[in-house]
Amino acid sequence: MSPRVAVVGAGMSKFVRRAQETGKELSWIAAREALASCELKLTDVDAVCLTSAPDAFDGVHRKGDYLADGAGAWAKPYIRTYVGGGSGVFTAIQGWYTVASGLADVVVCVAEEKMSSCQPHPQGAFLTIFDNILERPLGPNLLWIFALEMQRYMQAYGLDKRDIAQVAVKNKRNAADHPAALLGQADITVEDVLASETLAWPVQRLDVSPISDGAVAIVMASEDAARKLTDRPVWVQGVGWNLDSTYWTNRDLAYPEYVENAARMAYGMAGVNEPRKEIHVAEPYDPFDYKELHHLEGLLLFDRGKAPEAAAAGVTARDGDLPCCPSGGLLGVGNPIAAAGLMKIAELYWQLREEAGARQVPGTPERGVAQAWGDLMQVGTVVVMGNDGGPLTTATQSPPPQSPPLNPRATSLSEQEFRSAAGAVEQRLDALYDWDAGDAIGTFLEGLREQRILATTCTSCGRTLVPPRRFCERCFRPTDGWAEVPQTGSVETFSICHVTWDMRPLEKPQIPAVIRLDGTSEGGFLHLLGEVAPDDVRAGMEVEAVWKPASDRAGSILDIMYFRPLEPELRRELAATAGAEAPLESTV
Amino acid sequence: MRERVSFDIHVAMVLRVGVAGVGWSGFAPTTLGTSYKELMFEAARLAYADAALDPRSEIDSFVCCSEDLEEGTSIFDEYVPDQLGAVQRPVHTVASDGLFGVATAVMLIRSGVASTVAVESHSKASDIVSPGRIDRFAMDPVLNRPLGVSATVLAGLEMRRWLHVSGRSEAECAEVAVRNRAHAKENPRASYASPVAPTPFFDPLTRDQVAEPADGCVVLVLAAEERLPAGAVFIDGIGWSQDAPSVESRDWDRAAAAERAARAAYDRAGIDPSDVEVAEVDDTYAYKQLQHLEALGLEGLDPDRVNPSGGALGEGHLREANGLARALACIERLRAGDAHVGVTQSWRGVPSTSSAVAVMRR
Repeated sequence: MSPRVAVVGAGMSKFVRRAQETGKELSWIAAREALASCELKLTDVDAVCLTSAPDAFDGVHRKGDYLADGAGAWAKPYIRTYVGGGSGVFTAIQGWYTVASGLADVVVCVAEEKMSSCQPHPQGAFLTIFDNILERPLGPNLLWIFALEMQRYMQAYGLDKRDIAQVAVKNKRNAADHPAALLGQADITVEDVLASETLAWPVQRLDVSPISDGAVAIVMASEDAARKLTDRPVWVQGVGWNLDSTYWTNRDLAYPEYVENAARMAYGMAGVNEPRKEIHVAEPYDPFDYKELHHLEGLLLFDRGKAPEAAAAGVTARDGDLPCCPSGGLLGVGNPIAAAGLMKIAELYWQLREEAGARQVPGTPERGVAQAWGDLMQVGTVVVMGNDGGPLTTATQSPPPQSPPLNPRATSLSEQEFRSAAGAVEQRLDALYDWDAGDAIGTFLEGLREQRILATTCTSCGRTLVPPRRFCERCFRPTDGWAEVPQTGSVETFSICHVTWDMRPLEKPQIPAVIRLDGTSEGGFLHLLGEVAPDDVRAGMEVEAVWKPASDRAGSILDIMYFRPLEPELRRELAATAGAEAPLESTV
Repeated sequence: MRERVSFDIHVAMVLRVGVAGVGWSGFAPTTLGTSYKELMFEAARLAYADAALDPRSEIDSFVCCSEDLEEGTSIFDEYVPDQLGAVQRPVHTVASDGLFGVATAVMLIRSGVASTVAVESHSKASDIVSPGRIDRFAMDPVLNRPLGVSATVLAGLEMRRWLHVSGRSEAECAEVAVRNRAHAKENPRASYASPVAPTPFFDPLTRDQVAEPADGCVVLVLAAEERLPAGAVFIDGIGWSQDAPSVESRDWDRAAAAERAARAAYDRAGIDPSDVEVAEVDDTYAYKQLQHLEALGLEGLDPDRVNPSGGALGEGHLREANGLARALACIERLRAGDAHVGVTQSWRGVPSTSSAVAVMRR
């Protein structure tokens, strides 16, 4: 059995759209508040656990090294861990194993994100999350994949936008009681969400958490140290993390299996056998409103497809049977990516100490779960936390005078102030890459040039793989050979995208889709639909590849111009233009 | 009740962690036609075969060491699981040099959450057309970058200062480069064993004293003692630290972070520098090898026992995989019975000060 590790302090900056503070300064604000909350000094800290999402936001390579002194890590052991959007919750897992290993007694975990530095729009940092050879040439943006997943979730369980929008309403209302919140709104309604601008159907503006700057820190300690520091330690009872395949177009997006795997790992360690009874408060990851529902199901707190019904019945309200995101979540408090995840850990810490003030969930919660998610709809990070149970001692029973965090600072700048601030510098990375497609993808691209779609096969599991790889990730052995597959397939999920990555309106909407190719085993890839009216597109629709003329084919995913309906009656004169928005200076 | 250990107090590690398997691929100036995924697959397969462990069921956790801009991909964590046999398994990225991944694996195993951990790091340097621009983006955006200088300037500046305070000579640094390349002649992973002319670079740093880029991947499988075969190499001490990120306030006289990392690693292993029989240390620049040996208290070690692999000067610079390349060379040396106690040290390269040290024992 692992040694016990507790959270003994928490603090955070305010979450704002554009902070005057640098990333280092935001880190410092959070770390200092966390240490002050448990009356510790930096000299009491053995190590620093640090996280931050893409370096592209801050425009700093090796961002961990850059942030280290702000996070209190000068001359101390520090490591930056990183699992995309899952990083914030992961840094508490890192804090846990650093202390549980016996290599440290007291650690500070700091999660920072300064998205506003990335110009012209922070979404630009996400353009490079896609596969460098098979996806980036299509010009995908982050909204696409959320829209594709949301559409698949709604379609799989017969949900409508109203079922989803109620989450945004709940969380933005909850955030009205959070002193660090960017988008708390006590009077928002479902109608407001449904009336907001459509970005990439089914995603509308108020379904999405805001771009934010901010930092959060917690202090974690060994059992001995924790007992000396506080009479209300909040124990880390279980940790879990799990990463699914890179090939996201090869899996069913309706259910996050990797979240379930992470939850099972954490529940197992915590001895939680019946999460629906034993979890009293939850902070599931909610960068988009449907994600909270999706994740609550992955966390095994509701049956698949049933979280919306429970939410409608008030179960997930702050005063419901299973309060979810009492903090206000990412939708309300804000979403400085890595920091937002650690904010959830901080919220559980306050809730389980019963000092969350206006946000306190009723009853005497003894155990909670926080979860984050990230990468290409791929990673789940889960932490189960609990208090010692029983009534609070009389000395600590008085209600807190103010809802935490007590001193959330950050200076919010208007866009104009931000651009004209002293010290504002503009720099372009201008990095060039010449990616080696390698054996498997190189052969696949050669096939495209010849108007053929090639797959690799694994005789061990019997699968036919598109995109092809030289290895079977399930059997972990080399693949056995090549097969040509048909150029037809069906639409697994799709979106109608109305904006560019930097939020400029598109004259003609784009229709990205995950194409499930015939003759493959759950194989397929991301591409665009063309020659079809947006209103006619349906999940399951049969489609075929439309190729560039032979003289124009270059051995690229763009050799397929788009996929069009197999039914001639559905075809319209609406050719798509894949790659029109190709975002990056890169040579492939 | 567990035994108490803190960073400043020497207590033998409660649970010993050792090396169950090693694997590598590449180690060439370019690996054209092999993608980074395929490089990783080859190294991982060899490591799992060496460890006789099935990654799909017998590796509990996976740690990949990478930085986004080195790959040209934001959130590079996305692209690692399949070729490591790590799909739907606990995987996370350590945004640092591979030796920090070894430290992470040691912590994972000692915490009890895993008993076997794979640590991966790779370089596909040949994919990067503009490495200098990436390195420059590691410098302070407001104070340093507008000056428009290469990050490698810092190596020239540091070498000058270090020669001044240490009393060491440029000739001694040149000897390091010659000796490491001579050592490299016996090493099948070394692409840079031939002598290089001392052309001017970032004075006093000359071109012959700079490790050239290479592609490659290293995978180590670490395991708790009860999962190790007889005669395994143990990681008995590990330490890591860094100095001020800002170039204006760091210690320019010595490798302060390496000193702190070494002290922690020696304390945890319960050894003294005089116990060390072989060292594989960072030699991204020749003067760094001498500076790092000082930081590790190993300036008296027989020069033929320092980077007998040829170091990065001989094998090539593997970016964030440098630490694992040094660790691999050290493990091989201990496995071969050439020594019982070895030390591996890494440094992340300009403008970073981050450094890690591992004490290995067989």
